[in-house]
Amino acid sequence: MARIVFTAGFARRYTSGVREFEVEAKNLRGVLKAMDDMFPGLGEHLEEETTVAINGEYHETGYFQPVPPGAEVFFIPRIEGG
Amino acid sequence: MGDSWRQPVSQNKQSEDAVNDTSIVTDSVKRFKWVGTRPIRPDGIPKVTGRAMYGADLKLPGMVYGKILRSPHAHARIKSIDLSAAEKLPGVKAVMSAADLPAQKFDYIGPERVAVNFWHVTRNIMAREKVLYEGHAVAAVAAISASVADHALSLIKVEYEVLPHVIDVDDAMAPDAPLLFEDMMTRGIDPAPTKPSNISKRLDFAMGDLDAGFKMADVVIEKSFKTAAVHQAYIEPHACLAKYEADGQCEIWSSSQGHFAMRALTAQIIGAKLGDLRVTPAEIGGGFGGKTVTYLEPVAAVLSKKCGLPVRLNMTREEVFRASGPTSGASMTVKIGVMRDGTIVAADGVFKFQAGAFPGSPVMNGCLCAFAPYDIPNARAVGFDVVSNRPKAAAYRAPGSPIANFAVESVLDLCAKAIGMDPLDMRIKNVARIGTPTLGGPKHAHAGFAETLRALRDHPGWKAPLGANQGRGVACGYWFNGGGESSATIQVNNDGTVLVATGSPDIGGSRASMAIMAAETLGVDYNTVRAIVADTASVGYTHVTGGSRVTFATGTAVVNASTTVVKDLCKRAALIWGVDEDGVVWEDGAAKPASSNVGDFKPLSLKDIAAKAAATGGPITASAGVNAGGQAPGFAAQFFDVEVDPETGHVKILRAVAAQDVGRAIHPSYVEGQIQGGVAQGVGWALSEEYIYNAKGLLDNAGFLDYRCPVASDLPMLDTILVEVPNPTHPYGAKGVGEACICPPMAAIANAIDAATGTRMYELPMSPPRLLAALSA
Repeated sequence: MARIVFTAGFARRYTSGVREFEVEAKNLRGVLKAMDDMFPGLGEHLEEETTVAINGEYHETGYFQPVPPGAEVFFIPRIEGG
Repeated sequence: MGDSWRQPVSQNKQSEDAVNDTSIVTDSVKRFKWVGTRPIRPDGIPKVTGRAMYGADLKLPGMVYGKILRSPHAHARIKSIDLSAAEKLPGVKAVMSAADLPAQKFDYIGPERVAVNFWHVTRNIMAREKVLYEGHAVAAVAAISASVADHALSLIKVEYEVLPHVIDVDDAMAPDAPLLFEDMMTRGIDPAPTKPSNISKRLDFAMGDLDAGFKMADVVIEKSFKTAAVHQAYIEPHACLAKYEADGQCEIWSSSQGHFAMRALTAQIIGAKLGDLRVTPAEIGGGFGGKTVTYLEPVAAVLSKKCGLPVRLNMTREEVFRASGPTSGASMTVKIGVMRDGTIVAADGVFKFQAGAFPGSPVMNGCLCAFAPYDIPNARAVGFDVVSNRPKAAAYRAPGSPIANFAVESVLDLCAKAIGMDPLDMRIKNVARIGTPTLGGPKHAHAGFAETLRALRDHPGWKAPLGANQGRGVACGYWFNGGGESSATIQVNNDGTVLVATGSPDIGGSRASMAIMAAETLGVDYNTVRAIVADTASVGYTHVTGGSRVTFATGTAVVNASTTVVKDLCKRAALIWGVDEDGVVWEDGAAKPASSNVGDFKPLSLKDIAAKAAATGGPITASAGVNAGGQAPGFAAQFFDVEVDPETGHVKILRAVAAQDVGRAIHPSYVEGQIQGGVAQGVGWALSEEYIYNAKGLLDNAGFLDYRCPVASDLPMLDTILVEVPNPTHPYGAKGVGEACICPPMAAIANAIDAATGTRMYELPMSPPRLLAALSA
């Protein structure tokens, strides 16, 4: 199981304020699918609007990213630099 | 180059106590042949001999000259635009206004921080209903000469209804402020407001229990701060050349931080397909974030389409100041609670950022970076994105972080003073480590912060004596660093030379770094590798050169492509020797038998195999595309010694020492250059740079004579300390280095001024008149 966490603002908009979920997934595609099953349309929002931190490591929200067992998967707004 | 030394640090030291451990372990550094060396930059000779081709140097046969008419008002309704007289002027080939650009849907697209609303973008390219700042583009012409184009601009008749304007961020948030958009409702507030305002967005991040945290504190300090809008001040003004053909194919040559981004933005704004646009990067004379957005390319493309001729557009320096993005100015209040032993127990910040005329300041970054260097259990950051009658804010090195940092690091200094603790020791005590939660949510996953602070404390200057009117101040800074999509192609020529093509415009020396990483991976001489920046039709998609991402992400693509080439070389060596592929290994730049059982063969170098390319399968080439993740953040710690002239308020920088965790310095000279550049820009932000508006909302200092950047004589040698805590997610351990370095100077200098004079400065720039007034108060 992976622990999925959203920012408060994101949760307010898309998950009725619920910030944490537990899902079974081997990679980010699985996470996106599981979240989309719970909240139809959420997968697309996550894909387009967020960066993901898996156990603190930042990645773009790509399907291929492995999600180790027990991982904390944190979706935050994407960052852009200068 | 200033004094510099590199302090490699083993990764297994990262979790040890930083306060009690002052040792820097040096025994785990992997030795490389090219990584970490300082070869001559491949772009050096064309630049110093004036042969490099920047955007404004490009010419094509039949080319005509574009010019843009800009608003003389800070805020006005456009009642009419009459282009007819300009159109009839002999020598004018095309005229345009916003009516020549397709309408865009009002929709925020993409990630929250960088959400693009093309309804806004197209209005920034060319005004429609209203002009929202002085310098806002209104119309454009293309003519046979620059003087004819200027004459044509003077013939364009624009009828304005001048409206009240607002410049300051606090004024813009006032309930009775003039509205830039009469229907703008603040996003991020639940329930949604029913009255429009200039506040585009509110956001907040929180963790722990703030009230309980402040109750635990022995000392609580709350202060308010202001920073000025400052420009990236790149030497080269924006410039581009567009050639639109009758078949709908358009070529653009442009000076930007990302030609793929320019292609995407231009395509959307003019209504073209990506495949119909080909963008070639010109040499770039600085960007610092300000060249990640488009101003000219869509205009040049439309003018070229209308007249059927190549059109070049250059901004003047005045246009750069009036019409291209500075970074935000801000108004902030920060409150921090500490215990007597120096533990920070609570921190709260309210950050109000100017977005300029359209939504989209970097306030979210400011909120997320504000407290990131520290382990603070109870924290909150509230941000406001506020529009006002200024040019739209653009990214500038670590966008948002230096602004919030000025407030936070100033208050931290006051806290240290209040409890009688050394300010550097207090920062070391609270420094974030692997596993420390961040305000954004994720826990820190990389080390390097504590090691950097220790390295700064170990610098001999930290304890050096100071004289009268002199003071020392310290501050830290944080930046996420970037990853993402990048591409690279390696070609091995028949004579053994190697070409490395990437899609990353070279702003900070990336061609040298890419060549180094390719040479290291292939095992060949750096001098046989040539690195280029290829156009959008010649290499795979690559995201912008920004966010301190190129050495990490594009470097990973280069190493991956090089590794594929090595595998191919081994395969070809096996074919030449007539052995199995797994019987060949690549060592020291040559194919060798994996063991004596394979056979007794003389090693085959890359050059040997390249000479047999045709016989062994044809051209030796490989490409790689990556979506690189796991980038390590950047952490910087700096101290400044200053001397304040009590009679003039002038601040002289006596010493600046900048320590930074750089992962591994691929080309240390470039890393030092990045850090020194960030520090120098930070000194300007701290002491002299600001946009000055008059009562009419017009910019009074749109030039380098009146907008005062630091010059060499303003600065001492800037000492750099490269702390090397390798990033395990990069093949050679690299971390982004271009942004964290600009975060500390403003607060460090304010802290030094306080130490020298006992006067705390709360507003930037700390220019002589402002400091003199504070000293006299």
